[in-house]
Amino acid sequence: MLKVLIPTIMLFPTIWLSSSKWLWTTTTMNSFLIAFISLTWLKWTSDTGWNASNSYMAADPLSTPLLVLTCWLLPLMILASQNHINSEPVNRQRMYITLLASLQTFMIMAFGATKIIMFYIMFEATLIPTLIIITRWGNQAERLNAGTYFLFYTLAGSLPLLVALLLLQQSTGTLSMLVLQYSDPLLLNSWGHKIWWAGCLIAFLVKMPLYGMHLWLPKAHVEAPVAGSMILAAVLLKLGGYGMMRMMVMLDPLSKQLAYPFIILALWGVIMTGLVCLRQTDLKSLIAYSSVGHMGLVAGGILIQTPWGFTGAIILMIAHGLTSSALFCLANTSYERTHSRTMILARGLQMVLPLATVWWFIANLANLALPPLPNLMGELMIITALFNWSPWTIIITGMGTLITANYSLYMFLTSQRGSIPEHITNLSPSHTREHLLMTLHLIPIILLMLKPELMWGWCN
Amino acid sequence: MVKFAAFVREHWVNILVPMGFLMGIYLDRWNDQRLTAFRNKSALYSRELKPGEEYTWK
Repeated sequence: MLKVLIPTIMLFPTIWLSSSKWLWTTTTMNSFLIAFISLTWLKWTSDTGWNASNSYMAADPLSTPLLVLTCWLLPLMILASQNHINSEPVNRQRMYITLLASLQTFMIMAFGATKIIMFYIMFEATLIPTLIIITRWGNQAERLNAGTYFLFYTLAGSLPLLVALLLLQQSTGTLSMLVLQYSDPLLLNSWGHKIWWAGCLIAFLVKMPLYGMHLWLPKAHVEAPVAGSMILAAVLLKLGGYGMMRMMVMLDPLSKQLAYPFIILALWGVIMTGLVCLRQTDLKSLIAYSSVGHMGLVAGGILIQTPWGFTGAIILMIAHGLTSSALFCLANTSYERTHSRTMILARGLQMVLPLATVWWFIANLANLALPPLPNLMGELMIITALFNWSPWTIIITGMGTLITANYSLYMFLTSQRGSIPEHITNLSPSHTREHLLMTLHLIPIILLMLKPELMWGWCN
Repeated sequence: MVKFAAFVREHWVNILVPMGFLMGIYLDRWNDQRLTAFRNKSALYSRELKPGEEYTWK
């Protein structure tokens, strides 16, 4: 674990001591080095279930793919931000990259933590750099409102979690994931225990975000710069799913009864956010609501607590992380040329940037879960697990899948087809950096088609 | 020589992350050794090490 964490911490002096001419090149190269080092975690060497362990951190089949995804995202974020941030003063550029590196540090420690209280602290710590990125480098005045929503939704959801964790420590004597799985099942039979159960889960449901607790996400995405959107969509949302899976181990007897309203919200949310997507005029907002729908499926898969539900959830989390990050990069590519997120003002890009249309096409196919892409693997496993739980769910999930395909194609057709608007007269051609960025998003997706067991998680 | 000095001045920061990597490997191995130091001393696990074998747990 330390062979990735310490190089990540060494990124900070690297950022501040580089010469300004080489700042972006140096940080991109070094973060790629860290990403390739993190791939060694995928080679599984442990028969105890935990790998790369020390007193405070370890990796297991659930956290390893999320850790690798986290490390992979940092160089992509730096690549995506270079064009936009390059016009800022050098110290602000350094500050920006420092915030991205600190996000990676906190998330490695969050996913790697073996003590739940340390996971909680890192879960909270990610708020600080994300808030600064949104409110300092966002483009519109609404970014302050978006930052406020982001901060207070997450804090309001997670303070009960802190109380719940302290109560758990008091009753079991430990918050170590290594030990808790062997402790006696908790006798949860009073109203206080039900409230405790809600406290444990609601923090993660807000972070997912579950439909009904999602209002902060489209605001945050729309106002964030491209790197903020990428990290938010790809990894920060996964903290919620990951936390839920960890907590499920000890919430077990109560979840069967109390999960009903949340499963209903999750499934209903898939339909409702899909319909909301169909009527969006803002490209980034459409992609953001797409995230809410996918994470609703993930929440449903986790809450039914079957091996297939968990496996589908982890697969969909990884696949969604790569796909939505790719879509946000494409939206940023479009925005940097047209300076508008309104879809109707930026039509007909196929005639101007035909190769970018290929990237849009592949990313949208991934988003609508075309076979044999990993999004379909995850969705099918969750749909099957839900069907096993209640045959009626096939109506909701079937409609959800159909609507997802509808708005994905709508997004593609609206932004790429048709004639070029007359007011767009001076679009610059693509940079190779942008094509490299899309390639680096899609290569992991394609490779995961060939070896999905890397991200199956606990169940084989 | 002047070019070499300029090159070093521009790019010396690139050794920081590899240095962190080596330090991380060292600390990981030191931690593994510390966590498993008693394994071969335990009556339950101890045995004669085979030729060339460094640990019983690897």
